[in-house]
Amino acid sequence: MGELLTRFPATVVLDRYEEIREALFNPDLSRTFDSRSYAEGNIRDGVVSISHGQVHRARRRIENTQFRPDVLRLYERDLFPAVLDQLLDELIDAPSIDLFPVAELLSVVLAARRAGIDVDEHDLGQLRELVHYVDVFSQGSAILDARDPEAVRRLVVEAYGAFERDWVTPSRERREALLARRRNGNGGGEELPHDILTVLLEHRADPQLELGDEGRLVREVATYLQGGTHTSAQTLVNALDIMFAHPASSDLVRRCADDLLFSQRAVHETLRLRPTTPRIRRRAVADTTVAGRAIPRDGLVILDAMAGNRDPELFGPSPDEFDPDRAIDPSVARWGLSFGAGAHQCPGRSVGGGFPVPPDGAVGDEHVYGLVAVELQEVCRRGVGPDPAGTPERDTRTERFTRWAHYPVRFERWWQPG
Amino acid sequence: MGVEVTVDADLCIGSGDCIRLVPGAFRMDDDRGVSIVLDAASVEPGLLVLAARGCPTQAIRVTRDGEVLHASN
Repeated sequence: MGELLTRFPATVVLDRYEEIREALFNPDLSRTFDSRSYAEGNIRDGVVSISHGQVHRARRRIENTQFRPDVLRLYERDLFPAVLDQLLDELIDAPSIDLFPVAELLSVVLAARRAGIDVDEHDLGQLRELVHYVDVFSQGSAILDARDPEAVRRLVVEAYGAFERDWVTPSRERREALLARRRNGNGGGEELPHDILTVLLEHRADPQLELGDEGRLVREVATYLQGGTHTSAQTLVNALDIMFAHPASSDLVRRCADDLLFSQRAVHETLRLRPTTPRIRRRAVADTTVAGRAIPRDGLVILDAMAGNRDPELFGPSPDEFDPDRAIDPSVARWGLSFGAGAHQCPGRSVGGGFPVPPDGAVGDEHVYGLVAVELQEVCRRGVGPDPAGTPERDTRTERFTRWAHYPVRFERWWQPG
Repeated sequence: MGVEVTVDADLCIGSGDCIRLVPGAFRMDDDRGVSIVLDAASVEPGLLVLAARGCPTQAIRVTRDGEVLHASN
């Protein structure tokens, strides 16, 4: 029988960039705090983001195939722009709208494709249903920061059942039929989808993946749907929130509209200042040392990414300011530690954030800008601005202050290509 | 002896970060989902160390004339 660890023999807080980075690379520090089975109450049992060691590496080897540059470019260049344009035209149906649910709808389209959930991307009802699941699973993924963990647990368990029945099962059956036809040498001309569910089904028999349990497959797909939607949507809103408060607000919005590379740097700067997980937690699975500090087995390590991302030695003399043009050594990521680092670094960082921007800003045709930069550019081109009649609301269900629930904006279609 | 680079296939998770950073030195083995060394000799050792430092699982080891420039886990 497993256990949920809530008491620790020691707690160590690290707030310097290099110390946090060292901790994130330490293989003795795990994300697993709950070793119970799903039946015992662990709603995240077996998902890649909290697995550790061999099973985690085996899962990532398979799933990382969906984040190769050619797949990223296919999504960013061929699939996303048309969908984005159509959705924005449909969703911006009044001068003043709530941007957060719009950002979720934009992001869920590709997150669903990547996760392997078949959805009619022109059907707003279907997209809204998926966004509802994303909201529930997001509360589950942040359960360590939840104000009422038991309520979250009940909500997530109920959602998994309906999500499996209505979404995963039909998507799985279509893929299993395609895989069976391919095994029998009769592809039928239909190409296998490029997504997480497909590769998991393809490799499911590999015991290293520990995917024999049907529930784990559902939770893994849910993890990618949630991660791909929620972080992107929050980052888009955070980027605008920061820019609206900036003295050079209209200039920043105009530059994002004009220049996709600037829009990408604005996204990176937003992530640096407002990490999706401001305080990262790890548990020592063995006695270990980080930055010269001894941590006993089962010790709690808190990594203050908010503080680490503002290290003046790495980010310059004004690290608290929003400056997408800031000069940073190429060995340091412009987004700081906001995508994590080490074995658990966010697999979707290139989807949402694109490839690193070189110091000279010279990018070639191969460059991937990231979906959030593309989204940000498109809303800026539509003349986005704060809505003086509305008040943004944070998501108060979590301690993570970087999360929004509502963000009213106004649109004035002023942009013309130069 | 010169520069020698190895990738520990048990540790590698196929993130492709090393390939994006130093495409001449590494390539993806698509069958195994891991990175393998292509041609390290033609690449600046500093870049190889940068790739090794950034490897999420610290699977890359770089040595020059027997001296360890970056150790794997």
